[in-house]
Amino acid sequence: MDKKFTKIGIPRAISYYNNYPFYYGFFTSLGIEIILSDKTTTKTINEGTKYVVSDTCLPIKVFTGHVINLINKGCEAIFIPSIQSTGYKINNCSKIRGLPEIIRNVIDKPFTMIEPTLDKTENINFKDFCTQTANALGITDKQEIKKAINNGWKVYNSFIEMTKSGVSYTEALENAINGKFIKKTVDIVKPLSVAIMAHGYNLFDDRISLNLIKKLEKMDVKVYTSVNVSREDSLKAIDNIGEVQYWANELELTGTAAYYLLNEKVDGIIALSAFGCGPDSLMVDEIAYHCKEAGMPLIHLTIDEHTGEAGFITRLEAFTDMLLRKKRSILTKKSEKTKEYIQNKNIVEIKKEKILTSSIK
Amino acid sequence: MNTAEKLEKTKMENTIPTKDRIIAWPRMGRIDIPLKALLVSLGAKVVIPPPNSNEALEIGVRNSIEGICLPYKLNLANYIMALEKGANTLMMFQAPGSCRLGNYTKMAQKTLKSMGYKFDMVIFDMYKSKMKQTLQAFWHVTHCINPWRYYKGFSLGFNKFFAIDTAERLLFYTRPRELHKGDAEKCYEKWLKITDETNSVWKAKKLKKQIINDFKKIPIDKNKKVPIIYLIGEFFVLLDPYTNQNIEKELGEMGVEVQRQIMFGDWLEHVLKPSIFYHKESHRERSVRYAEKYMKRAIGGECIETVGDTVYAARNGVDGIIHISPFSCMPEIVAQNILPKVSKEEDIPVMSLVLDEQTGKAGYITRIEAFIDLVKRKKLRKINN
Repeated sequence: MDKKFTKIGIPRAISYYNNYPFYYGFFTSLGIEIILSDKTTTKTINEGTKYVVSDTCLPIKVFTGHVINLINKGCEAIFIPSIQSTGYKINNCSKIRGLPEIIRNVIDKPFTMIEPTLDKTENINFKDFCTQTANALGITDKQEIKKAINNGWKVYNSFIEMTKSGVSYTEALENAINGKFIKKTVDIVKPLSVAIMAHGYNLFDDRISLNLIKKLEKMDVKVYTSVNVSREDSLKAIDNIGEVQYWANELELTGTAAYYLLNEKVDGIIALSAFGCGPDSLMVDEIAYHCKEAGMPLIHLTIDEHTGEAGFITRLEAFTDMLLRKKRSILTKKSEKTKEYIQNKNIVEIKKEKILTSSIK
Repeated sequence: MNTAEKLEKTKMENTIPTKDRIIAWPRMGRIDIPLKALLVSLGAKVVIPPPNSNEALEIGVRNSIEGICLPYKLNLANYIMALEKGANTLMMFQAPGSCRLGNYTKMAQKTLKSMGYKFDMVIFDMYKSKMKQTLQAFWHVTHCINPWRYYKGFSLGFNKFFAIDTAERLLFYTRPRELHKGDAEKCYEKWLKITDETNSVWKAKKLKKQIINDFKKIPIDKNKKVPIIYLIGEFFVLLDPYTNQNIEKELGEMGVEVQRQIMFGDWLEHVLKPSIFYHKESHRERSVRYAEKYMKRAIGGECIETVGDTVYAARNGVDGIIHISPFSCMPEIVAQNILPKVSKEEDIPVMSLVLDEQTGKAGYITRIEAFIDLVKRKKLRKINN
């Protein structure tokens, strides 16, 4: 059977940020060339905003913009997965579940949509998800698909191992795709460290997050993100903090924040979410409640397409200043506690006696 | 034991002895009448929170987080007002995996406990083994073992649901056609009161027929050309007259017949009845069938119903669609994105209205009036051609 498509377009948004290493390994093994859309710019957002209704959240607008970008590049097949649930009754946000539905109805241009479904509640598991994708591209050989899935996991796992050791997201992604493996052996110590709880598609998109990670690193702050925490750790942390996983992407938010809240590695937590995000409104509130009890500072930054950079920086600076002052006061209090007052006054007198006796001698 | 199992246990809290229980539940339209009948016949004491109002909304907004949707704010206010009136057991259903609704009970429980109230929360799932869980929840709050009482309670409840639905449907039909303004409304109010007071199964079964006969007596203009508008959207907003600013009445007074596909009785019958006894095509199945061209998968909430109903309406000679949803409702935003295309391809006017606590009535009415003008003109053109 001859292949229908030799190229596939992947929009640089939503599931790209978490799953791209897997997609890369999978599609290259199948012999399909990947065309990525350009990085997000203000133009991308404006393009997307033209097509969807105004109540839609920023990430979906960005996604639409990327799809338009791919169509303009001449892409015939575009990969738009519908990730419904990642476990029994652990569902995604409706808008991510309905991504193909939105794109099908708002963009009226000729292109083929590769729209596999992952729905573990309805017993459509990951293997079916990959098979659907391959079938839609015209590949039906089971052995070939199996090989591609394995290759996908290979790239993905090396990416995860790298990020867990502390390699930054972009560096790890680059190396994983080139088949290299690096590991950080020395942990750089900085005066402050914070954990960021945010969806990958918000945080690692430089335009949406307004370069949040780089800005913090410039302020001498060490940043921990969701990719630094393993899946098992974040599941355990959610359980330990007394919550139950409800959303599919809860591991990135509640999991990460709970992990760092419990192991006291960080001085503060930054929550970054898009305006009007349904799951975030609940998850950030949960974490805010636990942070209040534990005395951990938390700042909730909301972003939309109009967010100005100046106000954003001011809030970040104020937060880091506050963290620094808090840390200093804790350290001085600790040093005060180290002085011990001696109860027994006789010691001085006994010493005097000793001195006297020795002087006589 | 992990947290999930622990939480499963807190679904039916048991700190208050059964005979001291005073039960309350959140309001949604006229759901209070049948539920009261059911619980009273099981031998429980109930408290009904005051109807949703600006005051209630203010209490809800004050005690809930910023980003949560409007129905939660009203639910929380209902709980607080009921607790103030002496309730100590709160009942609520949940539907995990649809949207934020699955988190309502968990959040309300936490918020109310931190406010210092002492109560038991009884939660039952509307997803898997629905009938069993529902019965379990009602047994838990009443400890009633008499099967006759269960029969009486459920039969009363269901018959009252159907009676209210019938009255509502007739009200929608009669209101735009009545000769004396206000007749239909009066008749509806009268029958709501009678339905509420009925407490024998035999009488409750006859309610539906009596209501139909009584509405027939209202003088109407049968030849009047009345445009038909479908009201679709989010479940709570559709059924709660305070939240949707009584849109049905406003439309009826403008001379429009409103039809609503989501009726509480129908929905409950579909959800609770075991599938062996449920033979007709349910609302959801019909929606999935009609929405096929635009949506290939259900994505939670009432999104697919919204799209399916629009297509159904267009193919059955309905003149217009009004789609209402609370602000930041995730499934309805997806529906909003899909509806313009449906409207264009099926040739039916659609208007989306988003409601939140700051919705002003004047602007809202203006938009509806403009839309109704459009629909009427379109209908006239169709008739003249």
